[in-house]
Amino acid sequence: MASIVLRDLDLTFHIRQERRVALKSYLLRGLFRKCNNPHTTVHALRGIDLDIHEGERLGIVGHNGSGKSTLLKVIAGVYPPTSGQCLVDGDISSLFDFTLGFEPLANGRDNILYRAYLQGETPKSIGGKIEEIAEFSELGEFLDTPVRFYSSGMIVRLGFSIATAIEPEVLLVDECLGAGDLAFQNKARNRMEAMFDKARVIVMVSHDLGSLAKFCDRIIWMDHGRIRMDGPTDLVLQRYEEEMTGDRHDSPAVMPGGMRIAS
Amino acid sequence: MSDYVSRVWKLRYFWLSLVRMDLHARYSRSWLGFGWSLLHPIAMTAVICTVFHKLFGMDIREFGPYLLTGLCFWNYFAACSVMGCTSLQQGEQYIRQYPAPVAIYSLRTVLGAGFHLLPALVVVIALSWWFKGFGNLSTLPMLLPTLVLVFLFGWALSIMTGFANAYFPDTQHLIEVALQVLFYATPIIYPPDMMRSRGMGWFVDYNPLAALVQLFRDPILAGEMSSLTTYCVSAGAVALMGCGAIFTLVKFERTIVFEL
Repeated sequence: MASIVLRDLDLTFHIRQERRVALKSYLLRGLFRKCNNPHTTVHALRGIDLDIHEGERLGIVGHNGSGKSTLLKVIAGVYPPTSGQCLVDGDISSLFDFTLGFEPLANGRDNILYRAYLQGETPKSIGGKIEEIAEFSELGEFLDTPVRFYSSGMIVRLGFSIATAIEPEVLLVDECLGAGDLAFQNKARNRMEAMFDKARVIVMVSHDLGSLAKFCDRIIWMDHGRIRMDGPTDLVLQRYEEEMTGDRHDSPAVMPGGMRIAS
Repeated sequence: MSDYVSRVWKLRYFWLSLVRMDLHARYSRSWLGFGWSLLHPIAMTAVICTVFHKLFGMDIREFGPYLLTGLCFWNYFAACSVMGCTSLQQGEQYIRQYPAPVAIYSLRTVLGAGFHLLPALVVVIALSWWFKGFGNLSTLPMLLPTLVLVFLFGWALSIMTGFANAYFPDTQHLIEVALQVLFYATPIIYPPDMMRSRGMGWFVDYNPLAALVQLFRDPILAGEMSSLTTYCVSAGAVALMGCGAIFTLVKFERTIVFEL
């Protein structure tokens, strides 16, 4: 059973005034002392309690800097929680930024291999997937060219094709539904839909409320690192839209459908 | 810890591919290809041998292979220290997206450096055969445990310099300065007896790098096994570095993503 459980999860960043100090300055100017190099604490996530069960498609909304992507990275295991628990059951696949993690000197075909190996594939298990990925990307002979010569659109095509070729149990998606040019976007959308059908748990961050309404059956609304609202898609999106457009009416304290509203 | 090692092993196709790519990118368009990596220690050996022969009357047949062995080891050690500094930055884009063990990015650096050490050792062995005959065949297998020790030493070193450089960006520069000092403090271009005869034996006897390089010199040049003391000092140095690397990983690996 794939699932995600977050218990009283907090994440804080410490941002020092002089961020990356030279060792010489650190020792000679006493920058290890707090008074000489004060730090600001950014509370990125606060008291997050969340249970995502097998079969759920969870969307996350919120303004910029509300902690959506940070939360996704904690679930993916990239950011360690400062306190609390994050338990994920199932193989995770994350679609964060397709354009990251390419070796510019290697060609497209080799980059497909590196990404696949990083996701735990072996030369045996990868089998015919390479050709399938190459075909989907429609990059043709450019696959034998070093990636540093690719346009940004070509990199997106390649990244998307690799990232969506797997069949994950837990799929984490961050703002990446619009990939490549118009023709590729339609293809990409179909591929994503097929992937959404196969994944057992999906967590998706997006500002595109239409996509969230289409793909998700539950939404959490993040606000300053907290979960402000958690409930069925239509209700949360409606409240969120009202707030964003300044058309908010007083809401009941308890919403139907097991929904909770943080104070 | 065994869980960590098995996670590193599970991703072996990934880091091996990156090592292969690094080597390919470095040599694919040069006509001498891999030979360039050998050219540096060989040219250095030729120059220093000529100077020392003229100045101090050193026997080239003895001193040539001795010096080349030292330089090959030193180049490996310097590569692990200096290139190790940028190993995490090199893997930054992966670290930001996948929770893979960070030690694999240092491993990429060390294996690249080790790949240059092996053919250099072949040249050293060939040179010693040419000058002295095949007197060392029975002791050459002793190079295998030495290579394991040197690999672990380099990996641990690379992990520590990589983390240090992520926190303090001038680490690489400081290491380059320290390497210049260490180069002359280690019997690379002079025999240890030269220091001992001047009452500075402790200078080389307590230097773990001197013990590690001796593990190469004894079987290749003298055709004999290294002393137990040399093995103990080397193993101790590897254990110490290993503890340092494990401590670094335990304490800083989780949060290193915030420093990149």
